[in-house]
Amino acid sequence: MMVKTYVIGSGVTRIDRHYDKNYLALVDEAVSRALAASGLDVSDIEYLVVSTAFSETMLNQADPSTYIAQNLGFRNLKTLTVSSGEVSGAVALDYAHALIKAGKARKVLVVGFEKMSEYPSWVTNKAYTKILEYEVEGIKNVTPPDYAALIMSEYMRRYGVSREDVVKWSIKMHENAVKTPHAQLQFTISADSLGRALRISEPITMLDSHPVSDGAAALLVTDESATKKTGREPVEVVDVESSVNLPVYLRDDITYFSATAAAYKKLSTKNEIKLSKTTAVSVYDTYDIYGLLIIEALEICEIGKATKCLDELPFLNVSGGLKARGHPVGATPLYQVHELCELLSGASWAKYDGDVALAQVMSGPDNNAWLILLKRWA
Amino acid sequence: MRHSITIFWRLKDNHYKIYVTKCRDCGKTSSFKRLRCPYCSSKNVEYLESKGLGELINYAISYYRTEGSEQYLPRVIGLVRLDEGSVVVGEVTDVDLSELSVGMRVEAVLRKYSSEDPNGLIYYGLKFIPVIKR
Repeated sequence: MMVKTYVIGSGVTRIDRHYDKNYLALVDEAVSRALAASGLDVSDIEYLVVSTAFSETMLNQADPSTYIAQNLGFRNLKTLTVSSGEVSGAVALDYAHALIKAGKARKVLVVGFEKMSEYPSWVTNKAYTKILEYEVEGIKNVTPPDYAALIMSEYMRRYGVSREDVVKWSIKMHENAVKTPHAQLQFTISADSLGRALRISEPITMLDSHPVSDGAAALLVTDESATKKTGREPVEVVDVESSVNLPVYLRDDITYFSATAAAYKKLSTKNEIKLSKTTAVSVYDTYDIYGLLIIEALEICEIGKATKCLDELPFLNVSGGLKARGHPVGATPLYQVHELCELLSGASWAKYDGDVALAQVMSGPDNNAWLILLKRWA
Repeated sequence: MRHSITIFWRLKDNHYKIYVTKCRDCGKTSSFKRLRCPYCSSKNVEYLESKGLGELINYAISYYRTEGSEQYLPRVIGLVRLDEGSVVVGEVTDVDLSELSVGMRVEAVLRKYSSEDPNGLIYYGLKFIPVIKR
């Protein structure tokens, strides 16, 4: 009989610039909430899988999983750190998923965290640039928002889309974040402020970009044996897929996210699913233009027309996306899964009737794209 | 930014020159010297040295401050289609922002990458400037 994987409990911290808390305090908060939600005790956990992208750079800390286990008093379990750029959290969940599927473990605690606010912005920005290829882009100081700017310019030119059209994405994300208790930017914005928004890399401004974020998220991932203890409906992790793109400068069309599209093709064929405009999806809108390209690559909207269908997507990034919920990098994919689990189990502010939900995660501009398919408890 | 001298020395063919990797199997070209073709993974590749001339096909004006970059801002980051066919990403310098345009002819020149090394080392590499009419 095929073993199924479930998220039986999850917990997150409010995303913010937490100057008064270290990463251990944030992790402790998220883990305590996840354990309480799951009905499990620390002694039940067999594996602690920790996800972070920048702990070595921002915290001078290699292998934080060891120190999380020590400080939280988790002694009798296996622990490891997963670090894979902006997709770290998705990879950590996939590892837990594989452990359960293989029968190697039955209860795995997956924890993601990031502390991006420990230094002034120019230090954080330099660290963030390390998600690109150092020997090609890093040495030349080509940065992530530069690529977002190149891609946005090309998209606007090719499809006749205006600057005001693109920023509709961010406006929608901020509206959703207002209703999300753990979101970082709980305020609305309007296109009127485009002209005076801080320029990052023209045409990208602060209105188009994710903020600098600290946060932690935890998921209890188990087989079916633990699902009876939870106080909330478990959510099934059906599948995790991924694909890798060419470097941006070698792509024939920089406005098409072909890694996300290829991963979606594999996932949808294997699981016989097709996303619709009313499916709950949570996507990696590090910049608003990327959000638009992702929903086109996932075939939710036609190519070049994403800005025209935003009003038809009631369950798109209901938490406000990376743009407004925030982007504590190593934790972000786990926030996405937590939020989709809340939607599927009826705990979210949004009332969702669908049976499946999808998280799309990526490092840089679609350099490495991951998809996580979740399903309501049957 | 602090760089490794060893890494810089080893990358001399990709930052003091521009090479194009041509795949003998699938026929595609890619910028930089590469071990394998990034399109088909073949190791059956040859290297051509670019003349460093090309066309600016897209650009961004960057104000994104990273450690040590403040003295260079704003910087122009562009995609350049080399005359040999493949595209490279790099900085466009010595240009009035009002003169920038998609389609402009550019050529590679040696310029300073960074000079903030704690030991006083200055790192150089190729950037692009508008073609000088000769």
